[in-house]
Amino acid sequence: MTTLTRQDLNFGQVVADILCEFLEVAIHLILYVREVYPSGIFQKRKKYNVPVQMSCHPELNQYIQDTLHCIKPLIEKNDAEKVVVVIMDKEHHPVERFVFEISQPPLLSIRLLVTDCCLCFHSSDTLLSHVEQLLRAFILKISVCDAVLNSNPPGCSFTVLVHTRDAATRNMEKVQVIKDFPWIVADEQEVHMQEPRLIPLKTMTSDIVKMQLYVEERAQKT
Amino acid sequence: MDELYLDNIDEYVNDHNKIVTYKWLSLTLGVHVNTAKQMLYHYLDHKRKESSAQLHATYLVSGKFVDNGQTSHKVSVVREEQLEDFKAKMSLVVSVHVYSVQKALLKDSGPLYAVDYDAVKDNLKNCSRYSAIRCASAVPMSSVELQQAREVQQAPTPEPENKKAGMNGDTSPVLKSSAKPPKGIMGMFANKSAPKSQDNSKEMKPEKKEDAHDIEAPKSKPVAKVNPVANFFGTQTSKKPEKTVKEEEAPQSSSRAAQQHERSKPEEKQETVAPVEPQKDTKKDSRSKTKRLEDSDGEEEKMEKKKRRRIKKPEPDSSDEDVIPDSPQPVVTREPSSPSPKKEVEPDRHSHPSSSEMKIRKRRRVMKSHTFVDDDGCMVTEKGYVSESYSESEDDFKPSKQASRDPIKAKPSSSSKEDEKKTQKKASANSNKGTKQASIMGFFQKK
Repeated sequence: MTTLTRQDLNFGQVVADILCEFLEVAIHLILYVREVYPSGIFQKRKKYNVPVQMSCHPELNQYIQDTLHCIKPLIEKNDAEKVVVVIMDKEHHPVERFVFEISQPPLLSIRLLVTDCCLCFHSSDTLLSHVEQLLRAFILKISVCDAVLNSNPPGCSFTVLVHTRDAATRNMEKVQVIKDFPWIVADEQEVHMQEPRLIPLKTMTSDIVKMQLYVEERAQKT
Repeated sequence: MDELYLDNIDEYVNDHNKIVTYKWLSLTLGVHVNTAKQMLYHYLDHKRKESSAQLHATYLVSGKFVDNGQTSHKVSVVREEQLEDFKAKMSLVVSVHVYSVQKALLKDSGPLYAVDYDAVKDNLKNCSRYSAIRCASAVPMSSVELQQAREVQQAPTPEPENKKAGMNGDTSPVLKSSAKPPKGIMGMFANKSAPKSQDNSKEMKPEKKEDAHDIEAPKSKPVAKVNPVANFFGTQTSKKPEKTVKEEEAPQSSSRAAQQHERSKPEEKQETVAPVEPQKDTKKDSRSKTKRLEDSDGEEEKMEKKKRRRIKKPEPDSSDEDVIPDSPQPVVTREPSSPSPKKEVEPDRHSHPSSSEMKIRKRRRVMKSHTFVDDDGCMVTEKGYVSESYSESEDDFKPSKQASRDPIKAKPSSSSKEDEKKTQKKASANSNKGTKQASIMGFFQKK
């Protein structure tokens, strides 16, 4: 029987913070690399000590930030199984889906792990810089995913889906995290793709989080 | 054996879909960089003849470039398509070699840096083992020399601190007219600020122009001569330009970039009059960046603070304007630090209301939040105590205000340093953390 202490909650929040920051950078990078928006709105910025492209458009940035702000509580409680960035064509049929599968080890093992990590890594510095290195590798992989994907038709748009549990959905409806930013259950058409081709991009296993990134691509895009 | 490298590169490029730069290849295979460049060239040649998969390459071109009559040495990384164009524009091509090979067409150069970053980081101690750039005098400092260098760096800072303590101690027992000591001290401050700006402007100019180092040496010397010795930090400033001259003359073979870096270091030392503070800031930086796990205090209250701040924001903005400074009398015991203007804003605001209250008016400590746009264009909201005209007597108020001013100064400086490094989200979260104590007290005070 484990009682959640303040330490555990803070650790969950730290992991959620790290993941949400990473997802923000990843979404911006996906929009840049897949040319969903013209490259003129992107600006080189620094994250994890490497240059990344982030958009300057305020409404786009606000939309992405609001989206992640709503996702954060789900990640904190380990309710979010997958976060999917779907790129859709003009008819709102998905052409590409960038799937981030996230799983965190349960809290009890995290608590033991933190003490273990502190013993073997001698500080949380090493743990976090190790995580930073892994996230950097993700960023690099997204930058070169062009090679394995076909180009998209013009006029694409994007959306973000979260795969989570029923209970979490009901909680989200009860507590609207951001006013005027409602989440709705996704249509079947947005979730499933015809004849998807699966291309794995990167997998990461660390003590605090496990993440996998793969792309589902429609065989015929135009 | 010799052909094995072709298979290796093939595996990296095609199977793993990696970007293979010559630097990464040399560190991975343990070969000299020139060998790595040749390997990449042969691989590219081989694949192009086979015309199997589509490969993209980037090249490094360096040579002399004439731009409006000015000749400069240009080093660029260009895509294959632009290579011939670029070579034609240069007046003399010194070297051309393959920089990287990859399957994907890169839209920008960011990933090239990211590829080398981890490889170099893993081999930090011997990253130049396979490098072709050599300098016989570029040897790491021994621990003795390192300690000496650190002592020299720390020596100038105790000097000004001692002098300042001496000054403050002298004012009280002096029986002369009260006009003189403040004049002397204020004169010190005035003298200090003027030559400092002269120093900075003169030293910034040589840095911005791409002149040869011969021109820069005589420029830094006159700077030392012009400033009078009556300058509070006169000894310090005369030392530093000499240092830069020595450093510039010694490594003649070092690159221009390295020289600019060295010059910028003494500049930074000059600017940080109390370097103890920035060191504390960087320590706080690394602490807050990496030891987030141990911040058990702020995490839960962070979310509440964020919500509370949203509601609070409109109120302080309106009441901030009520605190109008009457007369800008500088406070004697103020620390002569704060090079950046935003740090000066806070002490000014603190000092103005205090000096103006000669009448029987009441003053109180109120927590105000001050929103502004900093150098990076990020909006920063900082909280701090401000004395509003409310309390009963001046004397009772001053010591408590001074005590509160220092910690508040440290907090905004730490949050301002962090802003430069982190994104807006983090900036607001961290400034929240830094003033967490203040907000709790403010809650009770307002009542």
